[in-house]
Amino acid sequence: MRARFPLRPRLLLSIAAAGVGLLFLLPVLWMLSSAFRPESEIFTYLSPLSVHTILPKTWTVASFTAVLHGGLPRTIFNSMLVGLATALLGVVVSATAAFALAVLNMRFRRALFALVVISFSVPFDILAIPLASNFRQWGLANSYAGLILPGLANGLAIFLLRQFFLGIPVELKEAALVDGAPWLRIFWSIYLPLTRPALISAGLILFTFQWQAYLWPLLIATNPKIQLGPVYVAGLSNLYAVHFGQIFAACVLLCVIPTALMLYLQRTFTQSVATSGIK
Amino acid sequence: MTSIEDVTRLSASLGPRALRRTLGRIRSSETAVGLAFLSPALLSLLFLRIYPTISAISASFHHASLLLGTSSRWVGLDNYRFLVHSPAFARSVLTTLEFVAVTVAIQTVLALGIAVLFTQGVRGERLWRSLVFLPTTIPIAVSTVVWGIAFRPDGVLNAVLGALGIARQPFLTSSQQALLSIVVLVSWVGVGYWTIFLIAGLREIPTEYREAAAVDGAGPMKTFFGIVLPLLRRPLVFVVVANTIANFLVFAPSQILTRGGPDNATRVILFDIYSQAYQVGDRGLASAEIVLFLILLLAIVAAQFRFLLRHSG
Repeated sequence: MRARFPLRPRLLLSIAAAGVGLLFLLPVLWMLSSAFRPESEIFTYLSPLSVHTILPKTWTVASFTAVLHGGLPRTIFNSMLVGLATALLGVVVSATAAFALAVLNMRFRRALFALVVISFSVPFDILAIPLASNFRQWGLANSYAGLILPGLANGLAIFLLRQFFLGIPVELKEAALVDGAPWLRIFWSIYLPLTRPALISAGLILFTFQWQAYLWPLLIATNPKIQLGPVYVAGLSNLYAVHFGQIFAACVLLCVIPTALMLYLQRTFTQSVATSGIK
Repeated sequence: MTSIEDVTRLSASLGPRALRRTLGRIRSSETAVGLAFLSPALLSLLFLRIYPTISAISASFHHASLLLGTSSRWVGLDNYRFLVHSPAFARSVLTTLEFVAVTVAIQTVLALGIAVLFTQGVRGERLWRSLVFLPTTIPIAVSTVVWGIAFRPDGVLNAVLGALGIARQPFLTSSQQALLSIVVLVSWVGVGYWTIFLIAGLREIPTEYREAAAVDGAGPMKTFFGIVLPLLRRPLVFVVVANTIANFLVFAPSQILTRGGPDNATRVILFDIYSQAYQVGDRGLASAEIVLFLILLLAIVAAQFRFLLRHSG
């Protein structure tokens, strides 16, 4: 159902909405155009403003070629690996926790739920610095495990899956129990298949968390071999000889992957995020 | 719960004491299974949240510096005493509070405005919504780097201002403008995210309410402030609180673009902790800051949950 205010010219509002959307798009367009123009022209067409401020006069992929021959591909591979591993393992951690909190009639269920969700709602970054010292002692610095582990348990993912598990009719569980099915089978064959969109959303939340992480990989992955994309790009801008074209090209490459995922799964993602937050 | 009712029916003939025992046994067995299912999450809770919290608390009572190497000595509340009397720490706290207040106000108003606009049945709403949401999906370090180049004195933002006849601005190189420049950057990133919650909230308001208001002759302004806004209270409170928490932890722009400067104007609390721990090398002081900050965040999170639980269903 569309929510509407009393009659207003629809056309004007549509134009305003388009304007807002394009305004948010503008920095992305500028980033794209700067990545696709010769590096010497990045600051050229700024004043006076012209079409060429936002559209390259000469198109070239030179910046992409340069950046793909540097350290970037390795860091993108690292980011992908960490993101995907976190999504896969994290869905297991979140789904099992959500199942216990939503389906099983446990003692102290409310208290456990509050403990889990509240403690994972405190943003991780505040504990990143002490945890980094712990991880160094445990020999997890500069390892994939060190990068993956902190992303595994995610309060939002647990909360989201619990909401969806609560929506599954209890009759299904009871019927399975009467048939003598073990809990693991009930979890695996009833709850997981019925909540696939929510599981995908949870995976996306976990992936995005890792893809966007900055402070933790900055602290724990100092070895270039294990460095992640965002830390690499931030480092590019602090070099003595700054190559703006390459920075833009690297930025574009780091944006493309999550954006493609997000646009592809936007429906399920935005809906479930919105529901999990306020319901 | 209903499974228990089934069992109740089955064992109704057993008599009250036997029944209670049976129910108790089922509940205990479900508790055991539940703990098994919860164990991965509880283990991560223990090693990734509780353990570092305890080590931060412990470190905050010690003095450890690069000079002392790995050894440290017990100093009681000295680190806290130092912080309470430190003008630099007070400045950093105030900078963070200013940043959070301005950012949350701007983002909430913008998100609300955009959400209202997008729920008027405008054409192409899904596309415009995706565009506003797009910056949210970009890693913060990437947005920071791109905006950092745009903010350069010879950058694209000054070119736009020049075209509008406005003088060049120093942006990140000025202690007056650096923090506000970061507000602009994080608002571009964040607004789309919060807009989604408010759109969802607006869609849940039954149209009859507004129709009734229209029948009673209420204008759009009166309808909005008298009916829509009060009904939107729940998502609005969520957005304000969650956004507050998120912005308290702003870090990347200060670290990548300004290193806390110019003149400590962007030395937000998390960057202060980071440089205290990694540049100054005073782990004890950094830990004391972390503990204080953690208490503040926990209080906000707890208040948020109390509100949401009280107003749920």
